[in-house]
Amino acid sequence: MKMQAAQGAAAKKEGANETFAPSQRAPSLKKKKKWTLSSVTSLLLALIPLIGFVLFNGFTLVVSFLVMFCDVDLYDLGSGFDWNNFAGFKAVFIDGWANKQFALDISKYFYRACGITVWVASTQFVTLAIALAISVLLATKPFGGRVFQILFFIPYICSSVAVSIMWKWIFSSDEAGVLNTILGKTVLWTSDPKTMTWTIVVAIIWQAPGYGIVMYKAALANIDREQYEAAALDGAVGFRKFWYITVPGIAPTTFYLLLAGVNSGLLTYDIAALMIPSGWGSDVGGSENMGLTLMRLVYYLIGDDVSQLNASILSSASVISWVLFAVTATVAIILFRRRQKSMEG
Amino acid sequence: MDTKQTALHSERPIRAGKKKFRFSVSKALVLFFLLFYTVFLFFPLYIVFITSVTSTFEITGNTQFIWWPKNFTFAPYGQVFSMDPNAITTGVPSLLLGFINTMWMTLLPLVVGLMVSGLSAYAYSKLQFPGREGLFRIAFIISIVPLGAFGVIGYMYYYTLGWVGTPLPIIVPGMFGGMGTVFFLKMYYEGIPDSLVEAARIDGMGKVGIFFKIIFPLSLPAFTAQFIFGFVGGYNNYLGPLLYLQGDPMSITLQLVLSDVTNIFRGDGMENIHCAAAILGMLPLIIIYCFSQKYFIEGIAVGGVKG
Repeated sequence: MKMQAAQGAAAKKEGANETFAPSQRAPSLKKKKKWTLSSVTSLLLALIPLIGFVLFNGFTLVVSFLVMFCDVDLYDLGSGFDWNNFAGFKAVFIDGWANKQFALDISKYFYRACGITVWVASTQFVTLAIALAISVLLATKPFGGRVFQILFFIPYICSSVAVSIMWKWIFSSDEAGVLNTILGKTVLWTSDPKTMTWTIVVAIIWQAPGYGIVMYKAALANIDREQYEAAALDGAVGFRKFWYITVPGIAPTTFYLLLAGVNSGLLTYDIAALMIPSGWGSDVGGSENMGLTLMRLVYYLIGDDVSQLNASILSSASVISWVLFAVTATVAIILFRRRQKSMEG
Repeated sequence: MDTKQTALHSERPIRAGKKKFRFSVSKALVLFFLLFYTVFLFFPLYIVFITSVTSTFEITGNTQFIWWPKNFTFAPYGQVFSMDPNAITTGVPSLLLGFINTMWMTLLPLVVGLMVSGLSAYAYSKLQFPGREGLFRIAFIISIVPLGAFGVIGYMYYYTLGWVGTPLPIIVPGMFGGMGTVFFLKMYYEGIPDSLVEAARIDGMGKVGIFFKIIFPLSLPAFTAQFIFGFVGGYNNYLGPLLYLQGDPMSITLQLVLSDVTNIFRGDGMENIHCAAAILGMLPLIIIYCFSQKYFIEGIAVGGVKG
């Protein structure tokens, strides 16, 4: 397969089939590459991941974008896309609209889920603080430091399912539950709307810092030790050195961990769904929806029985997905911009 | 605390030779906090372990949590397999079936995808073709954009393809490799001198030969890091199987079995079996981690700086 797309291009030595075409134009600084069998196979090798992206992510994006504005049949998207006059948007954003139209209070769920999702994502600050404190302690090279380092990473590789089994047993409403035994009370930790969100938060805080500890440890090791020595000569001690040398030194890592962590927090599904099962009727994602994250709401809306209530419900699910995408993509772009700057500067 | 130690270093001459163990309050405090955090982390693991070795008889006979059973029993670890009602229909205990399914559904796309990504990164880094830079820029932008938000809504598209209820949505997309992996591997390849590749080409080695005989062996640490995180992610994947594999008892995965463990083993005092299942489910990964923790930690440190 030989494509002569770039005719008369300056010849480029290319693998086995070297071609020496005399250049017809004046040789320019910009070398043009020639289509040869070798370059086409190279292109194909390079393209495979992009093809996969288009086939799966690309089409998902297109379909969900169209579904934001159109009624569709989940079981047969090919049967047609009917313009629904922003029903999906109205259902999500206008208070009570969906409740009136198809007896499903999507906007109420949406606003509640936004609150819970932000709550869950903001635990990232706690996770970061723990990770930083532990890695600073580890950097003093304490007795058994390596063992601690190895142990502290274990929660991070536990699956959210296993983590939920552990914490559900601890927060069991049974009087033989671990926490209830310790407190000598019978608190319904995972079914009381006042406590259920906290149980999710605790499980996340238990699991998440391992990653940050490793990242911070690498960042701390990269800080020039001479800076500390120079600061010591200037008379800086303890906390001042931490504040003026350590904190700026690890700032890029902090920025990365914070934004990446917030993004993964915004997409929380597993641990919330596993810790707090959905209740009956309007208790989507736990009683008073106190365990409902945005991803759980999308999952609920695309469910077979719910999506069949009205053709516009899938539109709402798409709208929520795109809202989440807009937020996480913005965070990612901020992160990228910042990193570009720090690489240039 | 880190700063305190450096201060000591700079003020006193460094003593060569053996380190003398000296007790200091700050060192003891550091150790105290680290031990405290260890207790916090291992408390839930202790809870599941101790419950898994307590007999059902003892659990039902107590109104309090049992911190230390009177009689240790490892029977729950057998009961996970022997008392499984699903084994009658599928012929294999759920946990074992889930483990086998998880392994192949993780390893197949992971290994194929890594090779595809590796070859793609090789093309972007060491091969020539028209439009290489432009294409890589597009690929790079794509790799930055987070698409996790579409994890659930993607269900609509796979439904239309007729893939819901089959493992295809979990396996096939991964086999095309990932742009993030391509970017990571390309960064690593930049450290391999072009002259080495050129020399191999002059010796008559083909493109694929160069990849497998030179590029791949030299980038083994990068591949290992990607493999480990891909494996952990696939092994722990819950949402994917939940969306696409429900309904078919033969294609259940390990995480689905674990999430359903309270339904599979119903009854009073079955918590020991639930906990034993959780431990058996975590054990393979923890064992792998213990033997290769160096790669885990290096993988994060390397991967994190880049991307």
